[in-house]
Amino acid sequence: MNVLNFDSKQCERIRQCLDAYLSNELLVETTSDVLRHLERCEACARELEARSKVREALRRAAENQIAPEELRQAIQRRLRESRIGFLGASRRLAWALALAGLVIVVLGTVAMQHWIKVVEGRRIVAGVLALGVSDHLQCAIKGHNYPDIANPPELLRKKLGPQYAGVLEVVQKNLPGFEILEAHICSVQGSPRKYVHFIARGHGTILSVILTKSEGVQLPNGTMLRSGASGSVDLYEAHLEGMNVAGFESKGYLGFVVSDLNRDTTMQIANALASPLNAALQATG
Amino acid sequence: MAHFPALYRTARLLAQESAEAEDLVQEVYLEAWKSFHRFERGTNCRAWLFKILFHRLHHFRRRWAKAAKVEPFEKPEDQDSIMAEAPVPQEIRDENVLEALGKVPIEFREVVLLADVQEFSYKEIAETMKLPLGTVMSRLSRGRKLLRQELAGVAESYGIRLGNNQARTGESA
Repeated sequence: MNVLNFDSKQCERIRQCLDAYLSNELLVETTSDVLRHLERCEACARELEARSKVREALRRAAENQIAPEELRQAIQRRLRESRIGFLGASRRLAWALALAGLVIVVLGTVAMQHWIKVVEGRRIVAGVLALGVSDHLQCAIKGHNYPDIANPPELLRKKLGPQYAGVLEVVQKNLPGFEILEAHICSVQGSPRKYVHFIARGHGTILSVILTKSEGVQLPNGTMLRSGASGSVDLYEAHLEGMNVAGFESKGYLGFVVSDLNRDTTMQIANALASPLNAALQATG
Repeated sequence: MAHFPALYRTARLLAQESAEAEDLVQEVYLEAWKSFHRFERGTNCRAWLFKILFHRLHHFRRRWAKAAKVEPFEKPEDQDSIMAEAPVPQEIRDENVLEALGKVPIEFREVVLLADVQEFSYKEIAETMKLPLGTVMSRLSRGRKLLRQELAGVAESYGIRLGNNQARTGESA
């Protein structure tokens, strides 16, 4: 048994926080207490290192467990079979969503008059960003309009047509860790708006990059939520329908990155895409 | 199919055999598809799928181990103690971790996987597993500790050198 030569009370207290520290669950003040202690106490710093090492090893081992492709295909077959009997309920859901959307818009409009400017701005941002979310949800998630094995780039370019074929490469190049499975022009039922939709798989999820002509809709001035580090493109963010969405304005287009990845990751992806997309859209004219 | 690899990995590390894990994951997607109308808008889809996974898993487990006695989870002596930290092997191989993880009782293993592999927040884990927040925290703490102890045991049995991170703790008293 080791003999402890440090302030064991203080160490004991810090070590009780180490699990929450590793999970990023400490309050800011407690985190700085822990950090201050770790700077001074080599034993506790080593202990944290040991715990992080085990955690990292576990994550690595777990992530190396490969999910069998046959299982994915078998489940998709079962889902397709059950989808046929499910269309009725899905239609009811679509109506309920549309109604809920309408209620939100009406309530939002009434309440907006009384809200302070910033909150007002945020709601408008969310409303505009909902354009992207609805396309992602309807086309990619519920509609499952993408194949399991990525469509070849030639086919995707053809689907996008001459105007947007060049954008495909720009999106793929600026989406490291993702594979574009599908790209097409689509629209959300009940709206004439056209979306240029890229569906990509990576980081264990499905992500959409969506472009749509702004046609008078714009992200409001003065409510920029975060300034993009790349060039002069401003990013807007919102959490809607369980999705994180990051939006930007680009040469007469609104661009969206929609995923259920966390907010920061979604913003980072949008940040990397915004400027190159800006340039590519400028080239398409 | 959103979150398929993550759900499969978690199921595989909690079920006893790969066939069970495959059945589980299949059931999760079918159940999710059937009950999509119950998915609460504005909540996280990944968390929702994991909730279904754990619901099914606990249902399975009750069937598997009807007669098995479950030990109480939180004993006073389980509290963190500076003296009780197990040494961490210098080199950790995937198979060592998986073997050690298999020895960690499932109640702890599931919380550790959700926190450390899936990186769910304490609150999300509490909601997914229908546990009080305090229980999530104590199971995570205990689970990490058990994993580390088992890992030391596994490494030792293979003759892998244990790290000296603990041996040196305060040795110059």
